[in-house]
Amino acid sequence: MRHFLIKTLLFTAMSCLLMAAITLIPGYLVNRFSKFSIKKNNTIALFGHSHAECAYNDTLISNLTNLSHSAESYFYTFQKVKKYLPQNPQITTVIIEFSNNQIDTKMDDWTWGYTYMSNMLPQYASFMAPSDLELLAKHNSKYFMNCIGITARINLIKVLTFNYDYTGKTGGYFKIDGSRQLPASDVTGKTVKFSPKKTTVSITNLQYLRKIIDYCYSMHKSVFLIRSPQHQLYEYRANEAEFELIRKRYFNDVRFLDFNDFPLKNNDFADFGHLNFEGATKFSKYINRFILSGTLNPGATGSFVQKENNIIYSISSDRYPL
Amino acid sequence: MLFNSFAFGMFLIVVFVVYWFVLNRNLKQQNLMLLGASYFFYACWDWRFLLLLIFSTLLDYFTGLQMSKAKVQRIKTFWLWLSVSINLGFLGIFKYYNFFATSFADLFKAWGIYLSPFTLHVILPVGISFYTFHGLSYVIDIYKNRISSERNFIDYSLFVSFFPLLVAGPIERATHLLPQVKKARQFDYLKAVDGLRQILWGLFKKAVIADQCADYANMIFANSANYTGSTLVLGAIFFAFQIYCDFSGYSDMALGISRLFGFELLRNFAFPYFSRDMAEFWRRWHISLSSWFRDYLYIPLGGSKTGTWFKIRNTLIIFLVSGFWHGANWTFIIWGLLNALLILPAVLLKTNRNHLEIVAKGRALPTITELAQMIATFLQVLVAWIFFRADSVTQAFKYLRQIFSLSLFSIPQLDVNKAQLLEVIMLIMIFIIVEWQGRENQYAIEKLTWLRKRGYRLGFYYMLVVVIFLFTGKEQQFIYFQF
Repeated sequence: MRHFLIKTLLFTAMSCLLMAAITLIPGYLVNRFSKFSIKKNNTIALFGHSHAECAYNDTLISNLTNLSHSAESYFYTFQKVKKYLPQNPQITTVIIEFSNNQIDTKMDDWTWGYTYMSNMLPQYASFMAPSDLELLAKHNSKYFMNCIGITARINLIKVLTFNYDYTGKTGGYFKIDGSRQLPASDVTGKTVKFSPKKTTVSITNLQYLRKIIDYCYSMHKSVFLIRSPQHQLYEYRANEAEFELIRKRYFNDVRFLDFNDFPLKNNDFADFGHLNFEGATKFSKYINRFILSGTLNPGATGSFVQKENNIIYSISSDRYPL
Repeated sequence: MLFNSFAFGMFLIVVFVVYWFVLNRNLKQQNLMLLGASYFFYACWDWRFLLLLIFSTLLDYFTGLQMSKAKVQRIKTFWLWLSVSINLGFLGIFKYYNFFATSFADLFKAWGIYLSPFTLHVILPVGISFYTFHGLSYVIDIYKNRISSERNFIDYSLFVSFFPLLVAGPIERATHLLPQVKKARQFDYLKAVDGLRQILWGLFKKAVIADQCADYANMIFANSANYTGSTLVLGAIFFAFQIYCDFSGYSDMALGISRLFGFELLRNFAFPYFSRDMAEFWRRWHISLSSWFRDYLYIPLGGSKTGTWFKIRNTLIIFLVSGFWHGANWTFIIWGLLNALLILPAVLLKTNRNHLEIVAKGRALPTITELAQMIATFLQVLVAWIFFRADSVTQAFKYLRQIFSLSLFSIPQLDVNKAQLLEVIMLIMIFIIVEWQGRENQYAIEKLTWLRKRGYRLGFYYMLVVVIFLFTGKEQQFIYFQF
């Protein structure tokens, strides 16, 4: 019996050592050699989730690279930002999508829910601080080890194929053709009908947004929060009061570019939260003019916005044709 | 608590330590503790059904005692039928009631009579088909005077509820397991190491091969109308390996765990995909169920020692019942029927016992004929699996029609990560090689004689651990838990 226990323990210990080695060594190599590069003349990096991913066609916007990725919580954006900024010193401005659903507890699931974690952790685990990994392990201990196994496998393949290049794999503009059939009955009435959701706040997501902002400041970058257009019937608009409260209380030091009510038609939306190709084209062209006007420059007065808004919003009688 | 979960690992360690270190010298306490652990294990699925398990155990225990006391055969028969009726009644209510109710409604609908049958909204108690068959074999064996009734309730309950075999078998016999329950058990180093080795192999089969194949098989079967014939063949092959590795992986773990506690369970799989005909396949696939049906249904019906028509009838009956045992769905019934039709020629021509030994025994490679026979058998099994896996009989026929179209000769098209797909295909190929090398043993890595040095064998075990670690995703339910 004693012999059996000693041998079993030895085998288990050796197995654990092997698993640790096969996780840590490729992880170290990936962290050391990973390449996150954007075009040399692009000085603005945009991060966010699917709203931003579908709204900013960066082929139409000067000097901007859209690095947004669908279903990406700030936890994973933080890991990305930590790699992009040091490797791309030309970046002077960081824009971060901040919209209504990003304060919701749904973001917790995007952070440590199995489906999301098993997709995102293998991509970014090598760049995470121990405290970040601890956070995931604490909230989803059941599947954390499974995801570490997947991470080790993916890193091992990267090492064996010398493929350390993350360029183009961490997000970018996503084109959606066509438009989901928006319910006519809801948009014909004068009163906008929401499908209200009970607001519960993801503290972790907001903490990591703060971390991103602080990190950008430490790297001497200009930071903006941006809210891309959302349809009037978008369900998460229901938390607007909480959203504003949080923004003003915790992120008041960051300039907020709010395009929530940017005038678009129903058929510019793929669904209530996402722009389709037509909508993205209109909005991206506007953003291009917005950037070229120098509004993002330090000390800009925002006269462009006022001037443009006067034009755009005055002709917007057909927006969400009520 | 799945065998391939962390929680079960912890549970097993605690039970093992208490069993061998705390209660080592007392058989009664060991059995009582194992029974408690088994009930706890079962309650983790759904504690409400624990009452059903205990009721079923009490029923068969009491029936057994009454049958032993009975002086008149008529009374013995009464107790037998009482037990059989109640056991099958429970199985019928939980597993088959809705199927019969909706099938009758459909039948009446065809005649223009519309019925809205009352259906039950209950989940199927996990393992009910397995522990019901344990109990049935016990009372039938007493009736046939093969064994005498067990007086110790704890020992009998442990035979029915022993946790490694409780939810998905192997389906044990009282003649085999009860004597082991009653005999004092000594820790055996070699047996325990062998148990761990079999658990490791079972875990590899389940977590690496079955769960990886499941992703592709599920994807292809879910959208079968959109795929080419060649892709559908690939889907069927993925499912063939999924179900084999899922179920035989579970059985390996069950056998290995039992060995850790000093028990030897019945072997459930013997490399079925290396079979040279369908009869051999059925001697090697889910052996404990096949032999159960053979001993308690086929032979009492007359078996193959009867006239031609009776042989046909008996073969059809056991395969139809076997299909129905798997689930209340026409797909399983057709699967059973198809297997009966595939095996019947061998039964009628008396060639069904041509291949009793494992293929290419004592040789490294099979002959061309053997290889052709194995491929032909695998293809027949593959066709039958399509019915087993399909959501409906209609889908299965459409699946087959699409396979036998010109698109069978196209390159399989799957919108997935090609590198990952290649990884899975390579893993399956390595798995086949290891199974082939170990086919003369109880399970593939029992001896690893092809790795001559001890160091290589140890290296192989470490490699298995690493591969399991790298490929284990979210643990998936064992397929046979639904039966």
